[in-house]
Amino acid sequence: MSHYKLKLPQIIISLFLLLLVVIASALRMDLTALLNQSIVKLVMNGVLVLSLIPMLNVGAGMNFGLPVGIIGGLLGMCLAVNFRMTGFYGFCMALLFSLVFCMLLGWIYGLILNRVKGREEIAGIFIGFSFIPLMNYFWTLVPFKNREMLYPIGGQGLRPRISLENYFNHVLDDLGVITVSGIEIPCGLLAFYALVCVFLYLFFLTKAGRAAIAVGENESFARLSGINIAQTRLIAIIISTVIAGFGICVYAQSYGFIQLYDEPLSMAFPAIAAILIGGSTGKKTFIFEAVLGAYLLQSIYLLTVPIANAILVPELTEILRTMITYGIILYALLIRERRGASQ
Amino acid sequence: MRKREGSPIFNSEYVVPMVFIAVSLLAWQFSGLTGSFVFNQVLNRFIRDGILVLSLIIPVVAGMGLNFAITVGAMSMQTALLIMIAYRVEGLTGILLAIILGVLMSVLMGYVIGVILNRVKGKEMITTIIIGFLFNSVYQLIFLVGFGSVIPVLNEEIILTRGIGVRNTVDLGMYRNTIDKLWLFEIGNLEIPFFMILVVLIFAAMIFYILHTRFGQEVKAIGSSTQTSEVLGINTQAVRIKVIILSTVLAALGQLAYLQNIGMFDVYTAHLTNDIISCAALLAGGASIKHAKIRHALVGVFLFHTLFIVSPQAGQNLFHNAALGEYFRSFVAYGTIAFALIINVRNENN
Amino acid sequence: MTNMLEIKHLNKSYNGIPALSDINLSIPAGEIHGLVGANGSGKTTLMNILFGNPIIEASGGYEGEIYFCGKRAAFKNCGHAIQQGIGMIHQEFALIPDMTVAENIKLGRENTMPFTKRLFGQSFSFIDRKKDDAGAQRTLNKLGIDLNVGLKVIDLTSNLKQFVEIAREIHRTDLKLLILDEPTAVLSGSDGLKLIGILKEMSDRDIGILFISHRLEEIQHVCDRVSVLRDGRLVAQYEKGSISINNLAKDMIGHLVEKAAAKKREIGNKTIITFKRFAVEMPGEAIRDLDLDVYEGEILGITSLSGHGKLALGYGMMGMYPVNGEVSYRDEKIARMEARGNIMNGMYLLPDDRQELGIMADQSVEHNIVFTGNQVKNMFIRESCGSFLGFIDRHKSRSHVNKMIEDFDIKCSSVKQKVKELSGGNQQKVCVARALTVDPQLLFVAEPTRGIDIAAKEKILNMLIEINRTRNTTIVIMSSELDELKRVCDRIAVMVEGKIFKILSSDSSDVEFGLALSGEEGAEYEPL
Repeated sequence: MSHYKLKLPQIIISLFLLLLVVIASALRMDLTALLNQSIVKLVMNGVLVLSLIPMLNVGAGMNFGLPVGIIGGLLGMCLAVNFRMTGFYGFCMALLFSLVFCMLLGWIYGLILNRVKGREEIAGIFIGFSFIPLMNYFWTLVPFKNREMLYPIGGQGLRPRISLENYFNHVLDDLGVITVSGIEIPCGLLAFYALVCVFLYLFFLTKAGRAAIAVGENESFARLSGINIAQTRLIAIIISTVIAGFGICVYAQSYGFIQLYDEPLSMAFPAIAAILIGGSTGKKTFIFEAVLGAYLLQSIYLLTVPIANAILVPELTEILRTMITYGIILYALLIRERRGASQ
Repeated sequence: MRKREGSPIFNSEYVVPMVFIAVSLLAWQFSGLTGSFVFNQVLNRFIRDGILVLSLIIPVVAGMGLNFAITVGAMSMQTALLIMIAYRVEGLTGILLAIILGVLMSVLMGYVIGVILNRVKGKEMITTIIIGFLFNSVYQLIFLVGFGSVIPVLNEEIILTRGIGVRNTVDLGMYRNTIDKLWLFEIGNLEIPFFMILVVLIFAAMIFYILHTRFGQEVKAIGSSTQTSEVLGINTQAVRIKVIILSTVLAALGQLAYLQNIGMFDVYTAHLTNDIISCAALLAGGASIKHAKIRHALVGVFLFHTLFIVSPQAGQNLFHNAALGEYFRSFVAYGTIAFALIINVRNENN
Repeated sequence: MTNMLEIKHLNKSYNGIPALSDINLSIPAGEIHGLVGANGSGKTTLMNILFGNPIIEASGGYEGEIYFCGKRAAFKNCGHAIQQGIGMIHQEFALIPDMTVAENIKLGRENTMPFTKRLFGQSFSFIDRKKDDAGAQRTLNKLGIDLNVGLKVIDLTSNLKQFVEIAREIHRTDLKLLILDEPTAVLSGSDGLKLIGILKEMSDRDIGILFISHRLEEIQHVCDRVSVLRDGRLVAQYEKGSISINNLAKDMIGHLVEKAAAKKREIGNKTIITFKRFAVEMPGEAIRDLDLDVYEGEILGITSLSGHGKLALGYGMMGMYPVNGEVSYRDEKIARMEARGNIMNGMYLLPDDRQELGIMADQSVEHNIVFTGNQVKNMFIRESCGSFLGFIDRHKSRSHVNKMIEDFDIKCSSVKQKVKELSGGNQQKVCVARALTVDPQLLFVAEPTRGIDIAAKEKILNMLIEINRTRNTTIVIMSSELDELKRVCDRIAVMVEGKIFKILSSDSSDVEFGLALSGEEGAEYEPL
């Protein structure tokens, strides 16, 4: 089943990861702890990476407008926290609220994207970027009552970081953890991740899903076969947005905080770099590629921290991370166009 | 951003500036700032950002869209300056050498970017954004990690206390504001720095000249139809590279104007938002992704920065929260570009 | 005197398929040399080679020698060819839409202020607009055209655009060879004569002219010599004085092998679909004004020279391009041309560009065959899981697909094999199978045997005949393969310049077809 075209970079990345692991063990770092963290990080960021798949498959490109879906998820969580919904129940309600918000936002986002065919990616970046300051108004002016969410004294609006300590912090992370010789396997977390994967798999077996793949693979063919292109794209974009909303919920419950205001600005790029590392070419993408890429990227991110601290300058972590992220995306842009041109 | 389907006569060249004028006037009323204060500030932005905005014009005419990689030109100039400062080359020599070095680096970088863009025809804009981000990381790597460790530095003042990496802010004392104050006219409360305005206008004239040469015709031809230009014997690849080199060099010079106006050199942040703000200013003047004229750039700087200047105070007065004014600024900057992208593609598809 | 242009043993293939074989051609200075040929004759390839179109280099270059003005020439790009003195008037106009008439005429040769040239060099010298406008105006006047040179090209009519294209080349002082690709196609009567006058004047000035046209009467009138291309070979050459339209027509088509044609039969005159003033804006293949009745149960062929509209009909029906006019299907006017509605009503299109439009290359045979039926008519749905979700009922779809594979002898390793791995013929069979799955009553087929080997061609044609005979499906075949159309169709409509010129029966002669394709009327023309 080898459809992964980006072969060489995947090998390079994997070797790079291996190198980092070797350095880490040479520095006598706790590899088990790192492994445990890598599993958690996989799911924490992995759902966001999965959210890119519907849009890639339908031919709407890489979803640089991920902030739209993320904001939907943030809205959902804030609502849940405001109504003091705690624990697993609170998390589920957050997901439910996110679902509603993301469907609405995704619908509008999809309508706009349908008008900018061919430039979805650049338009997406700026739609996302301009939506964020708009939402900043909302975060500042929204009449939420929960004191824990608001600025302490004198400030107006929600805090930039809302602690989930009393709400649904780690609800998935801690659900059903099995420890095998030091390695902690968070079954609840992995089960949720698997659920999203299965959902995507099933979706692409439905009539709408298969139409989406056809539109992404060959739009003219799809049009000739009587498929409503605009509607198909809309459905895919809405699903992408909803999963992105779920993604940020999973991320937040793991991280322990809801991050508002300008945080979503840079969240699209790591997710996109991840899926590219996994082998996506910017067109039809397999679920496996999303999973693989998320794991590789997150593990590299994870390993740069202690190594950079030990050897060199602490800021190096961030610099290396961003270099890898943008380097991957640039490389993919070049390769994709080359391949597209030669076809 | 969420515009309904526009009427066919919706001409963004006039509507966008009108909207900016209207909203600026409104915000100005709320801000309570005096006309002369606003005027002086805006004029200052004009001489500070003018060249940067002008540098965007030629790539748009060439059909390459908004060149977000002007940050690379800015970074080249900053690198040149830092090198001069690091090796204590002061005064006029320092500035001249910095200019020469900066321009040379920009030519090189521009060439590289041009080659990259020739491989991604149709996706130039998103590629330039990513290039900007990537080169920014490299820049940080060099100056935050490289300087002081692998690269020896003579001038210890600019290095952080830990010994590695340049400080966040470097003083440009030796070069500051010398030419800003040249020929400064004062009419009542208004300050008009004639020399710098002249400089900006000279650059504008340069661009006008270039666009009216044979080379300029080739640029326009490519912008209108690349395929046809190929058949007509124009070497589109070469022209596109030259266009980007020009743009990058202009951006470097523009960044120099910017820095010497501000006087302080924020090593890691000075270049960061310039691309977005410059693009937004160009669009505010009525340009689109496909068409840009010099007047769009010049007018746009005024319109955009007026709004930019009055927003925070307006926010403070209206909502007792200056941050809301800040958000408005970000929204206007990104939103203008988003709007231009959406409207333009509709026009293409029509 | 050495010839201006000398072509020796020119060969060119695309992917192993020969486009030009052993072409020998010479054009002395001042000669107007005509070039005629039908679809696939190699005209375009020859022009591309002469003009340095990069597509030639990109597809492997060519063999043979070309001499221009006595020197060996090998143009790698258009700029090179232009510099050497070759000019081209393109069928699709190489004009920059947003520039003015004057700018287009002077592109690359603008007048500039001399002192800036000394300072900054040719490329960066300042343009003298006034001189440019004046020069352009002069050239247009020479052409007898009254046009404001300040107008943007995008605002002009096609006729005027053609003249601007011509003006650009005539304006040149360094022109040695002018290639004209179907120049009079958009020019109406008297304008065409004007052009011919200009060409004669140029030939008097020793400029060589290569004149490509399908209008045989013009060729006869204007050219000093004519060469006929067919299937990539030079099959005939005539001198002025012995050019006969009939001969040209016959040479273009060639001697068609009389294979057994489908038996002549009676077709009822119940029309299944009627076109009134139908127009399709397909770039390069536009239909301008189509009036046609298609009878139920017939196999109708539509043919034309390339670019004259035969391919656009099906695409227009499926809403791929903007359309105009009236279409009535089974006596009901069709309100909107879009694929879904038309497929549901029983129409279907098998596109000519199989790779681009006909198949999902990366999907399996099974997936391809059931796709349209499943999407549009909800076939093969698994009821149990909720039919709105639309999971495919593997059992149903598998048995249908297997039957199709058997019936049509589709050679594939399994139903799961990706369609891109099949041969051209088998891919086409998959397309036909997909079409039949939705059981259409009116089937549009474009170039059914393109890119398919000889053996498979027969099979596809027989498939179509069988579908027509057993299911009474009306079939409209749009093709350039006259030979095949004659065997399969009941009637053949010939289109010229976007309109139906003539409807011939399948046993009409070669000359009749040749003339019809060229838009020429009768056989009474004597050689001049």
